[in-house]
Amino acid sequence: MVASKEPSVLLSHLHRADGSATFSQNGYTVIGAVNGPIEVPRRHELPEEAVIEVLVRPAAGVGGTRERHLESILHSTLRQIILVHNFPRHLIQVTLQITNTPENKNTGSKVVQAGSHLAILPALLQTAVLALLSASMPLATILTSVSIAIHADGKSRKLITHPSLKEFESASSVHIMAFTSHGEPLVVESQGTFTLEDWEEVFETVKALCHAEHNRIDDNAMQGVDGKGNMLEFVKSAMGEKVAQDLHWHT
Amino acid sequence: MAAWVERKQSLVYGSDDWLPRKLVLVRAGGTCPAPFQRPTKKQKASVAATASSSTRALNFTLHITSHHGIKSQSPSPMASTTPQSALSFPRETFAKLSPHPYLRAHLQPTSATATPTRANGRSPSQFRTPHINNGSLTHADGSAVVRIGDTTVVCGIRGEILLTSKVPGWRADKAAAEPSSGAGYNEIKELDLLVPNIELATGCSPAFMPVIPPSTLAQDLSTKIYSLLHSTNLLDREDLRIWYQPPDLSDPDRMDDDSEDDEETSASEIKAFWALYIDILFISLDGNPFDAAWAAVMSALKNVRLPKAYWDPDREMILCDDSVDKSKKLSLNGLPVAITALVFKAKEQAQSKDKKYWILVDPDTFEESLCDESVTVVVDCSEKKTRILSITKSGGTIVGREEMKDIVKLAEQRSTELSSILNG
Repeated sequence: MVASKEPSVLLSHLHRADGSATFSQNGYTVIGAVNGPIEVPRRHELPEEAVIEVLVRPAAGVGGTRERHLESILHSTLRQIILVHNFPRHLIQVTLQITNTPENKNTGSKVVQAGSHLAILPALLQTAVLALLSASMPLATILTSVSIAIHADGKSRKLITHPSLKEFESASSVHIMAFTSHGEPLVVESQGTFTLEDWEEVFETVKALCHAEHNRIDDNAMQGVDGKGNMLEFVKSAMGEKVAQDLHWHT
Repeated sequence: MAAWVERKQSLVYGSDDWLPRKLVLVRAGGTCPAPFQRPTKKQKASVAATASSSTRALNFTLHITSHHGIKSQSPSPMASTTPQSALSFPRETFAKLSPHPYLRAHLQPTSATATPTRANGRSPSQFRTPHINNGSLTHADGSAVVRIGDTTVVCGIRGEILLTSKVPGWRADKAAAEPSSGAGYNEIKELDLLVPNIELATGCSPAFMPVIPPSTLAQDLSTKIYSLLHSTNLLDREDLRIWYQPPDLSDPDRMDDDSEDDEETSASEIKAFWALYIDILFISLDGNPFDAAWAAVMSALKNVRLPKAYWDPDREMILCDDSVDKSKKLSLNGLPVAITALVFKAKEQAQSKDKKYWILVDPDTFEESLCDESVTVVVDCSEKKTRILSITKSGGTIVGREEMKDIVKLAEQRSTELSSILNG
């Protein structure tokens, strides 16, 4: 089964959480729930800003070192976009439950492959942001995230946006980047073998995909760039639809 | 509390160039002229501060005569004798009380000719000198002690034998034919032949308490080392295979054997693998754990000597040869070097308009506690063209294309320095 590269989202569907979102893309599905600002245990309390707790739960089994690594990336990222100084001595809890991962062809081996644990990072980041938006958490900016795989064999070089797990694993290098809505790079995770020129090309491609610069969208010379793939547009339209739904009684 | 920080800076420190003068004060014999003399009413400014990270409240009163007066002073050592600068603490106290302005004051040049210097005396792009000692652990197959500043790491690598008969679902034909068989199949990864583990020893830093489960930092570092070991394809999988070549069956003594059996067993097969257990122990930690840990892993891998292992068909087990001559070193694919840089922003607040920043490489613990954004670049300069093997960044928005170019350049410089030590 080929997973859809088009993102889809379900907003505010968990009734007990302050905010929630279920995001699917590329065969990954993540449920995100945000609670906060709530009381924080005394020993974790920060006097000048809110404590952010990120919990990543895998689809099967209990979390291990891989999840801790993802949590630490998410934590440092979310701390930059949530206005933490607005909620001193509070806790903002972000729980991300992975419910679906793409099928792995290498049966009989480990459930999650080394290195490819990064493939889920865009889905986790996107879910966290959508859940935070659903919780009406004051944010400095929102972020959008895209993964790109470079397949290079000596001469030719191919950039694949939103690669499937197979493409991700066989790529010569993989890049996961997240940009703020102002077009600033917030997260970069690049792995494999590449040159600075490759990286800069990926940087510009992802920037165009994440950030709605209208002149870029028309430029078809850059591969994979069109209005459809723009993640910021997706978040905006998803939120817009949700607000319209919530206000249907108004008209 | 946030409001307090703002007030404290504007009241007490007034101008941005207050601190170097204070340092002059302290260096000039620690004289603090009338430190707490009773000020006049209009000159008095008091600040009550609460120690931010502890629950213990700490109240102190700072008296300053007039910060305008300080501002107008000339930055000569003579300033130490003027009674205006009543606020005077030793530099350790300043570093503790307001770490962020302390580091900023160091970096902000007081004159046009002065270059920014960090609190630890290094320039922003200056690394600490590495010291590497190989093979100090006798019971490990390869080991290294790496010391970078006050960060000291011991890495020991031990090889253990994994029999293919113990591998679930192992089929001899899968790998026996060609090393390249099965596209995308990587047995080092599939069979988990590299097992890195990081331990932050109790007492290596005041932050680590005894008898607690591995900290998030330790787990995070293990994952980074693990994925980097695999994504760089550092090891040649042939090095970790233990082959068995059945004896030539055309031998006259064994001619009476079954002919079908001949064909089956004449091809050599993999009987076992070497699994490398890479244990990394931090003896002391003063910032930049990843670079030090990676340098230790690289150095230890270069130091590894695996004994010659062979399959003994009579005893049906793997035996290792005692002789050192027959032992083999690992052939490594390149020599990746990791560097970490932090972005120190002029404004403490995360979401601030002030965009002034400094990029500090090889940070120590004090600097790590003050910076959010960190960048780690892994480069391999062993060949002509620099290969970038990993770029990781999180926690801020400052480093873009141009900044990354500079950091990669710094990484290349560091790589030449470090590889001469690693190779020599």
